[in-house]
Amino acid sequence: MALEDYKADMERCSQCSYCKWIPLDHVKSWRFAKGCPSIAYNNFLSYSARGRFAVALSLLNSQSNYTDRVVDIVYKCVTCGSCDVSDKICRYNLEPLEMMHELRFRLVEDGQLLPQHMAVIEHLRKEDNMMMEPRAGRGDWAEELDVKHITSEQAEVVFHAGCRFSYDKDLRETARTAVTLLKNAGVDIGIMGKDESCCGGKAYDMGYKGEFVKFAENATEAWTAAGVKTVVTSCADCYHAFNRLYPPLGAKFEILHTVQYLDRLIKEGKIKFTKTVPMRVTYHDPCHLGRQGEPYVPWEGKEKKIKGQIVVYEPRKPRYNGAWGVYDPPRDVLKSIPGLELVEMERIREYAWCCGAGGGAREAYPKFSNWTATERIEEAKSTGTEAIVSACPWCERNFTDAIDTTGEKMKVFDVIELVQQAI
Amino acid sequence: MALSREAYQAFEGIVGTDNISDDPALLDSYRYPLSHTAIHIGPYYRVYTPRGEAVLLPGSAEEVQAIVRECNKYKIKFKASSTFWSAWGYPLEENTIQLDMRRMDQILEIDEKNMFAVVEPHVIGATLQAEAMKVGLNTHIHGSGSSCSCLASATSLGGLGPDTNYMGHHSENLLGAEWVMPTGDILRVGSIGSGLGWFCCDGPGPSLKGLVRGMVGMNGAMGVFTKCAIKLYPWPGPATLPVEGKPPAYKAVLPDNIRVYTLGFPAWEAWADSCYLIWEAGIGYIAHRQFNMFGRDLKGAMVKILSDPTKTLSDIEELLDDPEVQKMTEEMKRDYQIVLAGMTPRDIEWQDKALDRILETTGGWKVQGMLDPDLYNWALLYMIRLGHKNLNLVYGGGYDGCFGLGGTPDFATSGPETIPRVEEATAFKAEWEKKGNIVATGGDAMMGGIGGMGGGGHAMWESFTHFDPHDKASTEGTLEFFDAATDYGIKKGWGPGMEKMNAYARGADGRSTPKEIRERILSAAAQPEAFRYQRKIKETFNPNDLGDAYYRTLDEPEK
Repeated sequence: MALEDYKADMERCSQCSYCKWIPLDHVKSWRFAKGCPSIAYNNFLSYSARGRFAVALSLLNSQSNYTDRVVDIVYKCVTCGSCDVSDKICRYNLEPLEMMHELRFRLVEDGQLLPQHMAVIEHLRKEDNMMMEPRAGRGDWAEELDVKHITSEQAEVVFHAGCRFSYDKDLRETARTAVTLLKNAGVDIGIMGKDESCCGGKAYDMGYKGEFVKFAENATEAWTAAGVKTVVTSCADCYHAFNRLYPPLGAKFEILHTVQYLDRLIKEGKIKFTKTVPMRVTYHDPCHLGRQGEPYVPWEGKEKKIKGQIVVYEPRKPRYNGAWGVYDPPRDVLKSIPGLELVEMERIREYAWCCGAGGGAREAYPKFSNWTATERIEEAKSTGTEAIVSACPWCERNFTDAIDTTGEKMKVFDVIELVQQAI
Repeated sequence: MALSREAYQAFEGIVGTDNISDDPALLDSYRYPLSHTAIHIGPYYRVYTPRGEAVLLPGSAEEVQAIVRECNKYKIKFKASSTFWSAWGYPLEENTIQLDMRRMDQILEIDEKNMFAVVEPHVIGATLQAEAMKVGLNTHIHGSGSSCSCLASATSLGGLGPDTNYMGHHSENLLGAEWVMPTGDILRVGSIGSGLGWFCCDGPGPSLKGLVRGMVGMNGAMGVFTKCAIKLYPWPGPATLPVEGKPPAYKAVLPDNIRVYTLGFPAWEAWADSCYLIWEAGIGYIAHRQFNMFGRDLKGAMVKILSDPTKTLSDIEELLDDPEVQKMTEEMKRDYQIVLAGMTPRDIEWQDKALDRILETTGGWKVQGMLDPDLYNWALLYMIRLGHKNLNLVYGGGYDGCFGLGGTPDFATSGPETIPRVEEATAFKAEWEKKGNIVATGGDAMMGGIGGMGGGGHAMWESFTHFDPHDKASTEGTLEFFDAATDYGIKKGWGPGMEKMNAYARGADGRSTPKEIRERILSAAAQPEAFRYQRKIKETFNPNDLGDAYYRTLDEPEK
């Protein structure tokens, strides 16, 4: 697809402004009704899906040209997909998130780049990670971890740590715990250690499709060579890349997020809890695990019209609207932990507010990214809980940094950490 | 013509650098496509409202006042909008700045005891309703849905919607307003103007409600409303709607004192009789012919699709062959939805009995298919929150209304001959549907309330017409149909319909209608003197003519 292919969407946009809010049925308060961080922070219409449709159309029609403002409009978005869910409350033929990606691809092609992204991507090209760290340190997180290395030993399941867990020293213990939990539950698991590379998902979200494809092909080749059947990751961004973005390129692996595997093992009795964790927590749905965590469904077809002017697709087009994301496994895991009480925030599941780390916002717009995380912490506080739990290291890092900025007392955990506490 | 740097800097000094822009692409996101939902002109393929000179995001009434004063100084027109749902909110001419009221989004007060809320422009129906429900109250939600500004409909437009039979038009619910006049002065209209609180828009204090509000409002063409008070109504349901289900098929299981029915009738006369009897009985919380906006032939299939997250528009044809759907569709041919809300258990039982008696009297029925729990709980949530209202755009992305048979229910459901007007309009549209440029709905896609205004009165039937704004043939074919509908309405004595409702203000190029055409249209209105009087109001309150043609004025006739 190309940006031009979304011209129909641009001209069919309903101008309804649903994209700015969580699905209106779910509005429980004035305070937590907003869905799109980008327009909530920037305020001009242009920073909503509706506005971006209009800006893209203006560019395609040569009514306007690239300016600093246009670049800002296109990149100051966390690509969380909240607009995509809300738009699809009333529409079956609009794809605002896909259009947003195509718009970024176009800007990158045209050399309209953000210096902050360029630095990260330049580093990615050289060192295979998004963390501005040397390639040589990629495997350090797994030092002295008793686990197979799939480049030398066969394993049915490969655990992909991802860039954040590999390099963030505050968080890497979570990845080690995940591997240990799975291994102790009898899973034939291995890692790639120092030979692991970035999934490419963040590069895709930033608009660097070429980089993404390179990393996707390399990972697919390595896993195939190692006889891998299942890929497990504790990172929602990696999960989304493997689950939704790799299959169109030919990858055929079972993709599981750790919370899905843990949920399965707990229900099978292969993980048993021996301790209580007396804590009230709330769960934050990572965008790439929740509303963007729906499985990829191959489709090749075309638009047609029935009843004169009803737009449909032949064959039936898969619909990604957050309905079938990964919502229950992390909740079921948390609910199964003795002593732990799960209290929900107002915005959850497909209409969860983003942590602010996605889409390259953390790298290019730290203030906006931090504000978005702070908003979520405020919502978590409103539940009266002592901790916010997530299933993605990027969420955890952004929340932790926001808390450091504001001085809140809210604790931040990964689901895996709480499972470990109960064992 | 671009703003002078001097003017731009003056505005920037008021709202700050972050809250003003004249970037061309950004300004293009504040242009409304007339190839889409033209809001009662067009549709015109790939025509847009003119580009404003700048967009400003004021954060307070004081900032709005300062902006308006600068506009008077530099002779720049201004247009304020909050939720930008329709073409009314966008500039008509160059040399106009757009005020986006988004930053003024506070619910300033909910007075539980006196049952009103004070809101800023960007408060929407969904947020106000959610907060009101926490204290056992509810708000009228305008027919354009709960994503739209409460203040805009209360101060500046008609403000009718599905719950109008219980909660009125928003024109009736306005209890006071803060108005930045076109000169930049601030006037607080109603009791608030005398420091007596927000309880009455007609005083004590400056009682200019008739001037600022009237029946249809000033359409954003005379100053800016920066806050207003809105009457709230009792809500006998839970403090938070218990929404469940997968998108978009959200549902709510509510206590038994809140019920929703789709009523069907054997004939239009029975349909109208039921409306009168419902008013007489004083029952009903929401009553509206809502799902017929999908069309007489398609609505049964559409409600099945919308209440099932696994279905899409691709399922329509298969569902149309389903005998169960066919039966339901036939039962719903002459229908409306009604929500009953009992304030006590006895009340709901009485209302339901009264409704059953009305159905017995008229030969009507509760459509059984809509009592299926999935559909029932979906419809209940839909009607109460009106959070899916933009489904009127679901088919191809474009919709506009035509005909607009307004009057008592008898007006639409009877006719000078033996054929009811609704069926005449249906047959006329059905013929045009055969050309393929508009969605074939079965002709009748008329939607509207069963009445309002304190238990009777005016019902409005808007004939929904669905098209594809991306498709030139569809858009131009729709325009052709609308022109024919106008001619037909005039020939039949119904008058021009909703398809031309705003032709007096905005023309085919998206800009102001030329004065001679505007004057011809307004002179032909039933009460043209009202527009001559409005000219005097405009001369007094808006001496520099910084508004636009949405405020209807007429020159004195030549003697």
